[in-house]
Amino acid sequence: MRSQRLWPVHVLLAVGAAAMVAPFLWQLLTSLQTLGEATHVPPTFLPGWRWSNYAEVFTSMPFLRQFLNTVVITVVRVAAQLLFCSMAAYAFARLRFPGRDVLFLVMLSVLMVPSQAYLLPQYQILMHLGLLNTLTGIVLPGLFSAFGTFMLRQFFLSLPLDVEEAARLDGAGPVRIFWSVMLPLAKPGLISLGVLTVLWSWNDLLWPLVVTSDAGRMPLSVGLATLQGEHVTDYPVLMAGSLLASLPMIVMFLVSQRRITEGIAFTGSK
Amino acid sequence: MTRKLSALLCAAALVAAASACSSSTSAAGGGDATGPVTLTYGIWDPNQKPAMQQIVTAFEKLHPNITVDIELTPNADYWQKLQTEAASGTAPDVFWMSTTRIGLYAGQGQLLPLSGRPGFESSPFPASLNGIYTVGGKQYGMPKDYDTIGLWYNKKLFDAAGVAYPTAAWTWQDVIDASKKLTDPAKGTWGIASPDWTQENLYNDIFQAGGWVVSPDKKSSGFTDAKTLSGMQYALDFITKYKTSPTAQQMTDTDPSQLFASGKVAMFTDGDWDALTYKNAPGLQADVAPLPAGPQGRATVINGLANVIYARTPHADAAWEFVRFLGGQQANAIQAASGAVIPAYHGLGDAWVKSMPQFHLQTFVDQLDHAVPYPVSANTGPWATADQTILDQIWAGKLSLNAGAQQLKSTTDADLAKG
Repeated sequence: MRSQRLWPVHVLLAVGAAAMVAPFLWQLLTSLQTLGEATHVPPTFLPGWRWSNYAEVFTSMPFLRQFLNTVVITVVRVAAQLLFCSMAAYAFARLRFPGRDVLFLVMLSVLMVPSQAYLLPQYQILMHLGLLNTLTGIVLPGLFSAFGTFMLRQFFLSLPLDVEEAARLDGAGPVRIFWSVMLPLAKPGLISLGVLTVLWSWNDLLWPLVVTSDAGRMPLSVGLATLQGEHVTDYPVLMAGSLLASLPMIVMFLVSQRRITEGIAFTGSK
Repeated sequence: MTRKLSALLCAAALVAAASACSSSTSAAGGGDATGPVTLTYGIWDPNQKPAMQQIVTAFEKLHPNITVDIELTPNADYWQKLQTEAASGTAPDVFWMSTTRIGLYAGQGQLLPLSGRPGFESSPFPASLNGIYTVGGKQYGMPKDYDTIGLWYNKKLFDAAGVAYPTAAWTWQDVIDASKKLTDPAKGTWGIASPDWTQENLYNDIFQAGGWVVSPDKKSSGFTDAKTLSGMQYALDFITKYKTSPTAQQMTDTDPSQLFASGKVAMFTDGDWDALTYKNAPGLQADVAPLPAGPQGRATVINGLANVIYARTPHADAAWEFVRFLGGQQANAIQAASGAVIPAYHGLGDAWVKSMPQFHLQTFVDQLDHAVPYPVSANTGPWATADQTILDQIWAGKLSLNAGAQQLKSTTDADLAKG
């Protein structure tokens, strides 16, 4: 009786799942084709199993070096954003100081400016700091984010005041309350910010592209983009490289699936 | 909207940088290389990087005190990065330039003129290319390569339909007749692909019809000229009147060059740059003929890249040595052998022609006699982008050709008026 009612749901879910997996499957098949097969109309599905495309990824770009760069960039950005955004968010949510709301609005206004507008000034600041073409230069502007602060502030606001008051009665100062009481409570919010930052940082293209000029200093996103030709692009090799580059993200998702879906559902964005 | 905004910001940045750099150019000129010098060379095509590296190695052998680092930037983001760098004084010492941007960069004082440099010689290059890279009487770009357009055709489809291959004697009417015979809805094959692409299709038709795009004084556009209109009408008729070309929608879904490579389209006017693609397409037996003659005779659009020197380079003399080498016989011969482009240097196209003997690539070289420069102005980008949007609407049938031509003219003229 129960299973009878469930099967339409399962069919629906299976179709949905197939639709989500199809692009990745398509990418995998393309990565094993020749360029001629990949661009043929109508499309060829079964590839010629050209595993050499994967070897070519490593000869056409310093893949491992760029992979390491991406990992370093992402780890530093995530750690810094979790720390700085949560501190700022807690201050905006709970501490009382003059000009707090004005300051908060000023910070939020950063979200309203299109990134092209501050690309140039940001670039020139880093140039004067002598940080062009360095990993530090790539990472620096991403250590803090207005979005992350806003998100965590909303999270802190939703936490009950009682816990904090109890801690204060026990003699804890603001730093102690933040670190030992509020931060552990904010774990779901921190996880979702972490996940979003990892995804953003892993895919970030324009800023690292403008800042770096040495292939050895580029993250994977930029390295892969340089495989794109003016008239001819070797799509199978590009797909092989992209697949390798997205493997860590896929593994991360499989390992911590539940937390990621919860985290993203919490922020209501992707 | 975002694109417009970013274009505006970048233009503003270039102006700011130009005024800042006018004071520093004199200092930059004195950077003679006695000690070791490292130059950066900005390019955007990974397919040409091996040839560029060979040229650099040959150059470094002749100039042991100069090292050249190639900086490959993804094609899609090359200009955004370059604008940021140019505005900040950090652009590569030598970099690739396109015909659509030369007016902007030279006009804003971002480039060093090559005219007057010791040993500068423009005679080995097509005059039309020298012309495009000359701004205000001074030449800023050393032509690197050029491309012309040819009539690519699928031999198998021609044989199957019993149609004789295109020749240099073909006219528009021959193409129209052949396209009708070659279209076979049952098999899903089309006689021709006629997209609203300017360089590959429309501009050629306009020039063959005796029309014009931008006036010589760069102050007005010729889209409402009766001859220009007849050129565009010819291209559009394949879709609307003869129904021998895939529709605009079909060509948006699948790139016409892919349709041609897959044997779905019998004829396609396309540049020499796709020769490698067609060579590698499985099962495709293609060749190329000159473009057909229109009411006013033959014409093909010529376009090409150039190497330029950044105005704020600290190593102007070393950069000039490198650019001079890039414009020389040895560097052009290396480019030709790679098969990726036709070298700009006169008479060196042979190695390129022989690199793919299955095609009559000589067609592209021979058409130099009828080459018309790709239309440009002081700032080509904005109107070329706006025009494409209007053309898309005409091709999609949302706008009549006449109404669309009015829009093309008013939009382009407004941009040209800004200089």
